[in-house]
Amino acid sequence: MFKAAKLGLVGILIVVLLAACGSNSSSDGSTNQSTEKITLTIWNNWSGQDAKAVAMRKILEDFQSENPNITLEIEALATDGLKTRLRTAAAADEMPDLFVMWPGAMTKEFVQGDLLQPINEFLDQNAEWKNNFIENALVDFTVEDNIYSVPMNLAPSSLLYYNEDLFKQYNVKVPTTWDELLQAVDTFNANNIIPIALGNKANWVAQSTTFSTIGDRVTGTEWFLKAVDQNGASFTDPEFIEALKLYQELGEAKAYQEGFNSIDENQMLQLYTQGKAAMVINGGWAVAGLVNTASEEILNATNITILPTVDGGKGAAKTTAGVVGTGLGVNKKLSGAKKDAAMKLFYALAGPDGQKATLESSTLISYNLELDPSKANPLFIKLTELMKETKIVPVYDSKLSSAAVEAINNGLQELLLGGDPEDIAKRIQAAQAGAVN
Amino acid sequence: MNSATVKRFIAVALAPSLILYSLFVFVPVIWSAYYSLFNWSGIGQAAFIGLQNYKELLSDSIFWHSLGNNVIFVLASVLGQVPLALLLAIILYKSNALQRFLRAAVFMPMVLSTVVIGLIWNYVYHPQIGILNFLLDALNLSALKMEWLSDPDIAIFSLIPPLIWSFVGLYLIIFISALQNIPGELDDAAKIDGAKGFTKLFKITLPMIWGTIQVALILCIAGSLKSFDLVYIMTRGGPAHATELLATYMYNATFSTFRYGYGSTISTAIVIISLLLIGTSQWLTSRRK
Repeated sequence: MFKAAKLGLVGILIVVLLAACGSNSSSDGSTNQSTEKITLTIWNNWSGQDAKAVAMRKILEDFQSENPNITLEIEALATDGLKTRLRTAAAADEMPDLFVMWPGAMTKEFVQGDLLQPINEFLDQNAEWKNNFIENALVDFTVEDNIYSVPMNLAPSSLLYYNEDLFKQYNVKVPTTWDELLQAVDTFNANNIIPIALGNKANWVAQSTTFSTIGDRVTGTEWFLKAVDQNGASFTDPEFIEALKLYQELGEAKAYQEGFNSIDENQMLQLYTQGKAAMVINGGWAVAGLVNTASEEILNATNITILPTVDGGKGAAKTTAGVVGTGLGVNKKLSGAKKDAAMKLFYALAGPDGQKATLESSTLISYNLELDPSKANPLFIKLTELMKETKIVPVYDSKLSSAAVEAINNGLQELLLGGDPEDIAKRIQAAQAGAVN
Repeated sequence: MNSATVKRFIAVALAPSLILYSLFVFVPVIWSAYYSLFNWSGIGQAAFIGLQNYKELLSDSIFWHSLGNNVIFVLASVLGQVPLALLLAIILYKSNALQRFLRAAVFMPMVLSTVVIGLIWNYVYHPQIGILNFLLDALNLSALKMEWLSDPDIAIFSLIPPLIWSFVGLYLIIFISALQNIPGELDDAAKIDGAKGFTKLFKITLPMIWGTIQVALILCIAGSLKSFDLVYIMTRGGPAHATELLATYMYNATFSTFRYGYGSTISTAIVIISLLLIGTSQWLTSRRK
């Protein structure tokens, strides 16, 4: 009896395995039948449940059904995973046809590795589209007069989200100066509310969402760009050490909840959406997640502002760290009908319709398009209003070499645990100098 | 069959796995040793820099710190997993219902993916909603509450319980099968000679399964030297490199800072260190025979 059951099980397994193999081979067969068919691979980071990812997946689906002769092979990965995957594929020279690509350092490196083809011609054919991008939107995708992509969103990385109800309840002023921020921290701590939620396990969070702006406030953008080029400024300069000390002060004031280095960005937002934290500092991208996950009550109480000013700092006041958003890289090897198909998909995703869909998914764009207030979430309207009067300064990880980014990310974890600012500055300087020279 | 045909049969039978093994283990190890002589970002030209990477490695404090953490992991596994598994095996090697249940319970984490184990323990240690801190509160031991994974001084030790928990089942099964292979006559002979309890354990049981213990030790050392996934899931080597292991450091150097050459240098160092450690452990245990 048992034996029969076992045999049956084995039989089922074999059938399932064969079926799995079979479906593979049949799909291979169908592509061979007609030569007209084109297969496009596209790698992206639209894997989540946030409104932006959902909107992008919808465009891909629509494109697929409208173009039956084009087969899309879509791979969606989490952001960190995609970045690693792209690097690995680049090392093996096996890039996908289209892929989500970051402006600045990554674009430059891929161009140097001869992996991308410029899209100048395509942009010029669609001049109206090209001219509708905001000022300087294409700069970080341009290498030596060749434009390699266009931004599909706009990512201020450093905004202060706060819960107005909690601020009113404890009679706290929304901080516009550093001292007010420290005061707010003290008051919330005294009342057992987490002042600022932080999830810094993936260690870019503190750097990208908070320290980039604080650094700019203290040192000014000009100094930072010089230090990046290692030309006339160094990360061991007193102004940078002052910025590190200032940030350490925030940590010592217990601005963050216990164990902030062991939870991730999602859990950080959870602390805020559960009403346990009064503030959270995160990028503009967080709105697309908040509108989908936070309760009505929290969402209505949430407001957005920029980080407070720093007395005596050299940086401009109404700024936030950030970057024009990701674009799509076009594989150097594409040509002929396959390239035409790829550019068609490019236009569907990053063209006017794609930008509109992105905007409607509560995500900022680097493209001139009016927001329809009746369709948009109130929180997103607040964000767009804020960004109209806020300038973007470079976020550290878009400009620094990967080695220096790793050094500063780990350095900030150490700093918040009481590390020595001067040691940390030395390590960042050594990493950047090693990469530039 | 004469000895020549036997030898040929052995060679033919071993060939497929040997070819696969060399293709997927030896060749990459050699390639990686070759890459370790270059400064290469993964994209574009690699520059030959000789032994420069190795020089940097020797003065790299994070590398030595990671090695120290690996040693902690090896010691914890060798002194934690193996004796615990042996003890459990001796208690549980017969098969009544309770023992079968306990065996399954101990083995259970082996079937779970490390990602699941990491996530479970992250919630055990969670700073706000962690079970462990709740438990300490409930037992009036609030003074013992800690930031288990984010305090750099204790984070590496917090990783040891999940490490032991996740692998003890494997060694338990290995030891149980070894114990069951001890011939029954020996038991009878021991009874006649009046050997009982500890005498029987040390004079008969342990010597009989010594070979298995040796294998378990080697598996244990090799396994904990290459451990990666648990740490990557639970702490990512952080905070500030506090729980960095050789493997996570190698991964970070290669895939976060994109220094493929330096990453290869670290992997080559891992190979050398593993060979040394395994060689030593074999030498130490074989003398006991």
